[in-house]
Amino acid sequence: MAHITNTLATVDQLYRRNTLDALPQDLQDTIFYATQCLTQAAGILLRLPQSATAQANVVLARYWLVDSALANEFSDVSAATLFLTAKLGSHPCQPRDICNVYTYLLSPSSPLFQFPSTDPPPNDPSAYYLSEGAYTAFHNRILRLEARIVYSLSFDTHVALPHPLAITYLQALDFLSQPKAKVSQRVVEYLNTALLSPQLLYLTHQPNALAVAAIYSAARDVGAKMPDCAWWEVFDVDREELGFLVVGMRSLEGWVRKQRDEVEGLLGQGMVTRKGVEAEMRKRGLGVGNGGNGAPGPEEEDEEAAMMRKLDERVAMVED
Amino acid sequence: MASKSRWADTEEDAALEAKIKREKEEKKRLKAEKARKAAEKAQAEEAARQRTLQAQQHEEDLDADRPSKRRKLTPEHDHDPLKPTSQSQGGDSGKLLRFEAGSWGPARSVENYDKLNDIEEGAYGWVARAKEIQTGKVVALKRLKLDDSPSNRVGLPETGLREIQILKDCSHRNIVSLHEVVVNDGASDSRSRKIESIFLVLEFVEHDLKSILEDMSEPFLASEVKTLLRQLGEGVAYLHDNWILHRDLKTSNLLLNNRGQLKIADFGMARYVGDPAPPKLTQLVVTLWYRSPELLLGAKTYGNAVDMWSIGCIFGELLAREPLLQGKNEVDELTQIFELCGIPTDESWPSFRRLPNARSLRVPKGSSAATGSVIRARFPLLTAAGTALLNGLLSLDPDKRPSAREMLRHEYFVQDPKPKHEAMFPTFPSKAGQERRRRRETPNAPGRGQKAAELGSVDFSGIFAGREREEKGGGFTLRML
Repeated sequence: MAHITNTLATVDQLYRRNTLDALPQDLQDTIFYATQCLTQAAGILLRLPQSATAQANVVLARYWLVDSALANEFSDVSAATLFLTAKLGSHPCQPRDICNVYTYLLSPSSPLFQFPSTDPPPNDPSAYYLSEGAYTAFHNRILRLEARIVYSLSFDTHVALPHPLAITYLQALDFLSQPKAKVSQRVVEYLNTALLSPQLLYLTHQPNALAVAAIYSAARDVGAKMPDCAWWEVFDVDREELGFLVVGMRSLEGWVRKQRDEVEGLLGQGMVTRKGVEAEMRKRGLGVGNGGNGAPGPEEEDEEAAMMRKLDERVAMVED
Repeated sequence: MASKSRWADTEEDAALEAKIKREKEEKKRLKAEKARKAAEKAQAEEAARQRTLQAQQHEEDLDADRPSKRRKLTPEHDHDPLKPTSQSQGGDSGKLLRFEAGSWGPARSVENYDKLNDIEEGAYGWVARAKEIQTGKVVALKRLKLDDSPSNRVGLPETGLREIQILKDCSHRNIVSLHEVVVNDGASDSRSRKIESIFLVLEFVEHDLKSILEDMSEPFLASEVKTLLRQLGEGVAYLHDNWILHRDLKTSNLLLNNRGQLKIADFGMARYVGDPAPPKLTQLVVTLWYRSPELLLGAKTYGNAVDMWSIGCIFGELLAREPLLQGKNEVDELTQIFELCGIPTDESWPSFRRLPNARSLRVPKGSSAATGSVIRARFPLLTAAGTALLNGLLSLDPDKRPSAREMLRHEYFVQDPKPKHEAMFPTFPSKAGQERRRRRETPNAPGRGQKAAELGSVDFSGIFAGREREEKGGGFTLRML
């Protein structure tokens, strides 16, 4: 059963995220959406299969229910989850490649998140040159975060994606008597879009429900005639759940449009950064502190501390 | 019946009323919580509350109280929610399968356990017997090796992460169970502290088969071998059914408890595979003595049959009380395999010529009597059915080896003597429970990142020297192109 089920968020986790986090809800949503887009863009540039990138999206969403989004730079978390899921699949990524890709995507030369201007930004290689020192620092942050993320998820990195199930269901439904490629693509588009949704659909619903909702929406889009009965029950989804997911999946596009218009300065000028969010919070007169949990930890152990730790380990080993 | 959709409906919905009544208590509790929340966060944004409630609703799978919340969730922009069909009372008509789902949260600290004694310390980690302080439960703690040297900056070992994932997904009586994963104390205190050690909390099993075989004065009875082999087969069948290749089956990775239960352990080499198997699987898997000929000949795509070969080796080891094929290196291992199982021919293994290391393999063109299998002669006490099974498991051609399920249906397990009941299994003094274990002299599983051995230009035409005296054969040499 593990291949088609996921662990789901608890009420408590969602409650804490939505009400106790110092970060206002709309900013949380914007950060979530932007970071998931960044992961997707990096996955494409790294030529990772969508299965690995989508798993990274889900792992990141789960992690942010344990640690506050403000605890680390958003792009670092994105890079670390992608590094982790690529490694666990059969397409490992060199840390070097990940660092290069993220440096490019975060640079002004990247067309990602440059909505207002329709022209692609000028390509300036010096803007995304990664110095050796910057590479080492980035690499260190990825490794530290990787450990932090798997620790926060109690080392459970399993993610079941709805995509294969959706195809199986489509086969069972004879591809809704539509051209296979057309309807399958639409279904997969809905599933991939849902990954970006700040409604955390992948954390609250099992893959079978996501697959059925995507098929329902796709059927409407392509004008396919569906059976007159409650066909979704065949796939163990009830009408309530289906309706909610369909609304959730279809509403994302409108939400993103609204975001682009409303939240100026956050989306639209490159990737959202922690600094940008903090500035926005100050502008709104909100405290940046996050219950003692928001201050960034020191990036590196200083040399002396590392030495002391090594000594401690030696002593411990001898004592054992 | 083009009525409005359910989440846009009103409270009058009759079926809903019934449900509300049914789940009145649930609802009351929910409302109390809602009220508390409202007090706590009066100014909470509408959207935030909506989402919490929605998720809560989903989580608790409450059908009651839905309409009002759903109404709020309907987004502002216009698109029709789904149009209901003739069936409008979702949930009332059929039983829907609900999926059990766990949750996630930070790992606990190893400080929850008291170390009792070391069990073993090998190339692949350290294992200790420990007691969970809170419950007094005795467990085995296995530390994952973390290589954090500057030359090896790849983060957490994927083998360790895969082992954890696979064990978490497995639940079978013949597979060692993973209770949880814990980390060194202090990892949770602050973000600056690094995670220095990761421990797998495993079910404690008293013995491993390797030490039992080494220490026992009398070999296992035929009925006992059957019990062990059948349990091994059941565990491996479960793994293969779940798309898991173990890739390091050997007697030291098979544990035995005092109730005669065999448990497969050490999934450091294991991985999920699909059908067809993913390309570019590493050939450097399985401890040398248990490694199948196709792996030794450099096959890049392989499947369940590599585990079946290992089972064959273990079967032989259970009978002989010592490892069956103790090659000193890859070439020697292959030599021993060919000595035992015969030389591959176009009939016995049609596709072996296509394997990377086999292209230049010259085999003697002798009769099959000279180059065939000598398994029958090597195990004279084994019944005909047992020999047939062992021969099948040790087929050179991976396609000819039985699957784990086929193996379990083999006549060998039906014939007398019947497999001994587990409860009747003899017990042994537990080394793991009391004292440090003797160091094993088995070679270790290959390390990741090592280069797969190229068989090189070793000449081993002398393998069949003994037989060649009786009948002329060309001998064979292996050279790299």
